[in-house]
Amino acid sequence: MSFFLNPELWALTVTVSVPLIYASLGGMFSERGGVVNIAMEGMMLMSAFVSVAFAYASHNAWIGLLAGVASGAAMSLLFAWATLKLQADQVVVGMAINLLALGLTGYFLDAFYGYNGTPISTPSLPTWHLNVLSHLPVLGPALAQENVLTYLLIPTLLGAQYALFRTPWGLRLRSMGEKPEAGRSAGLSVLRYRLSGVLLSGILSGIAGAYLSIGVLNSFNVDMTAGRGYIALAAMIFGNWKPKGALMASLIFGFLSAASIQLQGSIIPSDIVLMVPYLLTVVAVAGIVGRTTPPAADGIPYQEESL
Amino acid sequence: MKSAAFALTASVLMAGTFLAGCGAASSAPPSSPTASKASSYKVGLVTDTGGLNDHGFNHLAYLGLMQAKKEFGVTTSVVQSQTASDYVPYLTNYAQQGYNLVIAVGFLMQQAVQQVSKEFPHTKFMIIDDQVNGPNVTSSLFETQQCGYLVGELSGLVQKEHALPNINNDNTLGVVGGMSIPPVNTYIAGFYAGVHAVDPSAKILLKYTNDFNNPNNGQIYAQSEIAQHADIIFQVAGGSGLGVITAAEQSHTYAIGVDANQNYLAPNTVITSAEKGVQIATFDTIKEGVKGTLKPGVQYFNLNNNGVGMATPISAIPQSIVQQVLQSEKEIVAGKIVPPTNIP
Repeated sequence: MSFFLNPELWALTVTVSVPLIYASLGGMFSERGGVVNIAMEGMMLMSAFVSVAFAYASHNAWIGLLAGVASGAAMSLLFAWATLKLQADQVVVGMAINLLALGLTGYFLDAFYGYNGTPISTPSLPTWHLNVLSHLPVLGPALAQENVLTYLLIPTLLGAQYALFRTPWGLRLRSMGEKPEAGRSAGLSVLRYRLSGVLLSGILSGIAGAYLSIGVLNSFNVDMTAGRGYIALAAMIFGNWKPKGALMASLIFGFLSAASIQLQGSIIPSDIVLMVPYLLTVVAVAGIVGRTTPPAADGIPYQEESL
Repeated sequence: MKSAAFALTASVLMAGTFLAGCGAASSAPPSSPTASKASSYKVGLVTDTGGLNDHGFNHLAYLGLMQAKKEFGVTTSVVQSQTASDYVPYLTNYAQQGYNLVIAVGFLMQQAVQQVSKEFPHTKFMIIDDQVNGPNVTSSLFETQQCGYLVGELSGLVQKEHALPNINNDNTLGVVGGMSIPPVNTYIAGFYAGVHAVDPSAKILLKYTNDFNNPNNGQIYAQSEIAQHADIIFQVAGGSGLGVITAAEQSHTYAIGVDANQNYLAPNTVITSAEKGVQIATFDTIKEGVKGTLKPGVQYFNLNNNGVGMATPISAIPQSIVQQVLQSEKEIVAGKIVPPTNIP
């Protein structure tokens, strides 16, 4: 029991979960519009690098964040162009985007900084101290002193929930993921709505990438996202394509990662604990427990008919 | 439309994989007349997945290579492995292109070197951090338990005497390792012995990130140990370890660098570093290669030949402590103290 009451476990859970939550929300918007997005890994990686480069050049972490988000968005536009306009296979293009980002960032890292790593004087985004929260039991210390992007998550989550379920845009986006023909017959541009979903995934993945490089650290390393984009995708699926689900699933994944760190050296093998989230995803997708249902037209390219 | 999409996808894929391998930087030698013979000597360096930007191990090998290029005018080329499956093709590529010496940086490449060196008996190979037997392979092994012992003794004394600000009363130190493999564990074994030599009651926390290029992981692993009251953390995790230093800096605790003197990364946080002479080893091997005196077998690097060592501790540490550690260094050189290679 004391294991679960340890505030540090929850502080670690938050640190691990934040980028997953941002990226899984992004993936949710893309897939709700009917576009399978495994390219989030690449969008995150690109943003992680670009935000360091711009933060260093401008001596301002906020400019770094903006540039990082813009680069994530740019990657998502490339992805959208290939998958929406040219109707290429979404999974294959997604993989291509990831490899492109890995190659480009590795190349730029060497080309700009010449094997010396990113400069150590790179600024990072501020940590906020909300002392009011520190009096909360157990969770208090985890929430009282966090990176600004962690607090920004709260309006982002509320906004995502509202936009997807309470606005005409959200309704239409969801219809494009379920039955694009219906949206089209109502006179809407399927591609434009799908594009907005993909673009949002680029922006949110961009924030996730910046969190990794200039949020908790102030440096970039080759392949530093280390598969977090895929984990976020799994979290989004496990969370049944809903903001609340994505949040909960990311927190569960984060919690299990944190637990596996804390458990290292104890009797329980930490690798097994680390494996649990992926096992859960397989179980959830296979429909054994808590069946998940993807949008009906998820992953199917749409040839827009003229009206 | 379909074919356009396919062409695009294919070209993006190819661009990605091409660029991924594009860390390779080949350059022509300086054309000085004295270097005419050496310039035909070609050296290829293959890094492990940590990459050249790790502020440590791979970077030091690169510095050794550059030093050799400057002094002997050898032709050099570098390629950075992105994944473990790159090792064999990259090593093979250099051997096929007729490179005289191919350097494999890292224990993780042991099997790859074993395989490729057999296929190319006329090419010389060097492997750092592990032993590969073969008539054309030179292995460089570092007795890092010695420098691990010294930084361990230093931290144990700092901890015991509260010699730096913010040292708590919990008498706890931390280690974040990359993987549980010999070149990492020898450092750690020395560290344990060094700490316990001056303070048998000190508690040491040990965790492995299980990767060498994930600084975000290093950061959270260190954060976890700091929360368990560790206030000096020894990082032996390559690129992942850079996150350990960041975590220590953020929480106003202390870190110990590895492989290179990493004090410049955080001058008030990194109190010293356990150094490994990868640069010297690389340079010396190339030198012998150029001279034609390169022999197969194992070369050991230790305190006696300055192959390992402790970086100068920060000036905030009292001289009495530093002197005591330097005394132990002399005793290790004299063989009076023999640090263990296995973690208790």
